Amino acid sequence: MRITHEIEITPTAVILDGQTLTQTETGEKMLIELYRQYANDYPKFFKLDTLSRLGFIAAELLLKAEGATRFVPTEDRAVILANRSASIKNDTDYLETISEGNYYPSPALFVYTLPNIVTGEIAIRNKYLAETAFYVLDKPEQLTPIIETTLNAEHSELNSAIVGWCECNNANSFYAKLQIIWKN
Amino acid sequence: MEELIEQLKQQIIEALNFEDMTPADIDANAPLFGEGLGLDSIDALELIMLLDREYGIKLADPKSGKEVFRSVRSMAEYIQKNRTK
Repeated sequence: MRITHEIEITPTAVILDGQTLTQTETGEKMLIELYRQYANDYPKFFKLDTLSRLGFIAAELLLKAEGATRFVPTEDRAVILANRSASIKNDTDYLETISEGNYYPSPALFVYTLPNIVTGEIAIRNKYLAETAFYVLDKPEQLTPIIETTLNAEHSELNSAIVGWCECNNANSFYAKLQIIWKN
Repeated sequence: MEELIEQLKQQIIEALNFEDMTPADIDANAPLFGEGLGLDSIDALELIMLLDREYGIKLADPKSGKEVFRSVRSMAEYIQKNRTK
């Protein structure tokens, strides 16, 4: 397998293919700043939970670095992400809306109480019609055999995948390390 | 009524995460769904919760929603008639 592009995002730093991108904001505000700088054409971004915003922005920057034609339906690229805490940040936010004495369940929060929303959002945005999967794992290295198996599955049409670790504990504690990886 | 409309616009902006919008950007008479603000089904559920949370209104009849959520002005008119807080 061959890695062509890689990005790391923390609350205070963005490193794309080894180069640090300068940002003025930190934490979740930085994700909004990145969206406005590098995408700004997907209003639904503001409805996404923080985990989805993190994965969305990481994928956007990777795909801009790749520079290939985008938004054309394709069946040869997968999206395979993982983390340890699933959608814990959003789960906690939702829990607050159903607490005793303040029971006003938020439908907009409820729809993000699953971590695989982020992989679906990346696929929808980019018209990827192949595999999308989000795994809840102990360690990032556990994802490697899953990626290999997915890309090399018999009869698979996959040539590449957006893969990586996408973790969000709260608005100021998150980490993403995503790559574009090719089968050959 | 105009004061209620302005308050409602602000509450809608906050409830639906319209981060780039101000109350002045929302036409009180424009459709909320389809054209106009272009809200979706999840937004509709958020608006139902907003009526309950902020004004003590529980929409019992789903059919009434179509008329209530026609525009910000129609929402405000409904709130004025039915609010319990």
